[in-house]
Amino acid sequence: MATRHLIIGGGTAGINAIRTIREEEREHSEITLVSAEPPYSRMVLPYYLDRSIAESHVFTATARVLAGWGVKTHLGRRAAALDPKAGTCTLDDGTAVPYDDCLIATGSSPVRAPVPGADGPRVHSFWTLDEARGVLAGIARGSHVVMVGAGFIAFTILNSILSLGARLTIVEMEPRILPRMIDGTGAGLVEAWLETHGVAIRTGARLARIEDAKGRKRLRFAAGGDLTCDLVIMATGIKTNLDWLKGSGVSVNRGVVVDDRLRSSADNVYAAGDVAEGRDLISGEPAVHAIEPTAQEHGRIAGANMAGRDVRYRGSLIINIVEVCHLDVASFGAWDDPKAEAASGVRADRPAYRKLLWRGDRLTGAIILGPSGDIWTTNDVGMLKGLVQSGAPLGAWKAHLKKNPFDVKLAFIASGITKALLPETILGRPAKAPGDTPVAV
Amino acid sequence: MRVLRLHPEKCTGCLRCELACSYEQTGAFQPAKSVIRVSPFEGHTSYAPYTCTQCAEGWCMTACPVGAITINAAGAKDVLDDTCVGCKLCTIACPYGTMFYDPATRKAFKCNLCGGAPACAEACPTAAITYEETATADWLGDFARERTARVLTGVS
Repeated sequence: MATRHLIIGGGTAGINAIRTIREEEREHSEITLVSAEPPYSRMVLPYYLDRSIAESHVFTATARVLAGWGVKTHLGRRAAALDPKAGTCTLDDGTAVPYDDCLIATGSSPVRAPVPGADGPRVHSFWTLDEARGVLAGIARGSHVVMVGAGFIAFTILNSILSLGARLTIVEMEPRILPRMIDGTGAGLVEAWLETHGVAIRTGARLARIEDAKGRKRLRFAAGGDLTCDLVIMATGIKTNLDWLKGSGVSVNRGVVVDDRLRSSADNVYAAGDVAEGRDLISGEPAVHAIEPTAQEHGRIAGANMAGRDVRYRGSLIINIVEVCHLDVASFGAWDDPKAEAASGVRADRPAYRKLLWRGDRLTGAIILGPSGDIWTTNDVGMLKGLVQSGAPLGAWKAHLKKNPFDVKLAFIASGITKALLPETILGRPAKAPGDTPVAV
Repeated sequence: MRVLRLHPEKCTGCLRCELACSYEQTGAFQPAKSVIRVSPFEGHTSYAPYTCTQCAEGWCMTACPVGAITINAAGAKDVLDDTCVGCKLCTIACPYGTMFYDPATRKAFKCNLCGGAPACAEACPTAAITYEETATADWLGDFARERTARVLTGVS
């Protein structure tokens, strides 16, 4: 009998796993996908919001593609319980789906600030396609939008909101913006840049409640200073979707604990993406990395192992980039490691900023800021990722970079980073192009 | 597969490759839009071109959330403009710094080997860039290490 693979979650991790199973398997297997939403990419929702792409563009695996891959689907259904001993997943409509192995890829969900009125009308999260539709319908030219939370998700839709002709105010509880993506110096440069582009920023602001005010919304703060607006977007963090695993016996810490093959503690149960707690490439410690590249790599590794290969994962690297008003902001690896040796350079007029962090003579983290039209910004973005990813010893280049933190390209080329990286592949073989996945027979 | 082989010791820094590349790729002579880039070494006494290795992993391709990067007939990773949304994930996924972004078009762009007839190799007057059937490699590392010894702190 053909192996029965069950994929729970149709996001990035789940779809990458399905593709990889089809690429790697020796014998044709049965694949079943359970997904609350049809598969689409949350990464591209900001471009749907600014109307630069049609809604149809967001879907990653349409019904036709899934049929071509020979995937049986339960769309619009959620997994409600897992019984690894019996090898059964029960859905929210009571359907029992038997499996030989399964992948938990249930992702994460947005969390709203715990204040009165947070669930009221014209208060939106921006996470799902449905929520994106709601925000798009609620913004008109001249609208005043207040974004609560100044993290990565908020910043991915900042350009979109401005391009719709809305006025934007960002409110953050922490003393600075992007607290989990860049340091204080970088945040200061971005704040100044945004203010010159007409975005109002209020940091250190504790929201007390959200009220209705004659068809508009009023935000009240602990320290006073009300804000009145047309639409509120809550970008106040996410939580991993783990609750349904209670009683399953699967070990859960901050996420589903997985080994270097993405296997959970339960037999034949794998986990990938936002919901998995795997190895961090830099620290070697378990970590939840709720980012797109980790979901892709996790999904591919899990898929290959489910298809019968034995593929070890080295660990995931935290990487983030966001562009705001043509300023690129990116960070890599352990950019906030207090024990690291650090060097930085600022050119406030451009503005441009580099921060480099070392453990020994290996670069373990970096922050970069610069105009997106500036060649050196894009060059350095990739090369900093390569330096951190390779973990190659920098020798005398460390001292050079400490003095000249903008001279990334020379250090990269002369340290032979290309040579160190070229043999590296995630699956131990060349990757296939998106259209090259063998179609089910 | 044929790849761009770089011979840094032959590069004179004339930048014709950058002009040819940008003209072929964008229809305008603008080195800022070139995906092959010449770097100076040793106080501008020597130079070397640098471009995409067409690596086996294709970090840009596997990172793209919408499948906008594919492999073209020449074997190069190539951006499909109609599919690319400009999210820049490829620019941070590529560990070689050879993925670019054009704010004017809001698209990512990279070396696609000009579909099998690379303009840079054709334009190079000293054969410092050749298009050959060979395995891709780090063509510049040893050259650059030698030509940068003096700029390094504590290295004579």
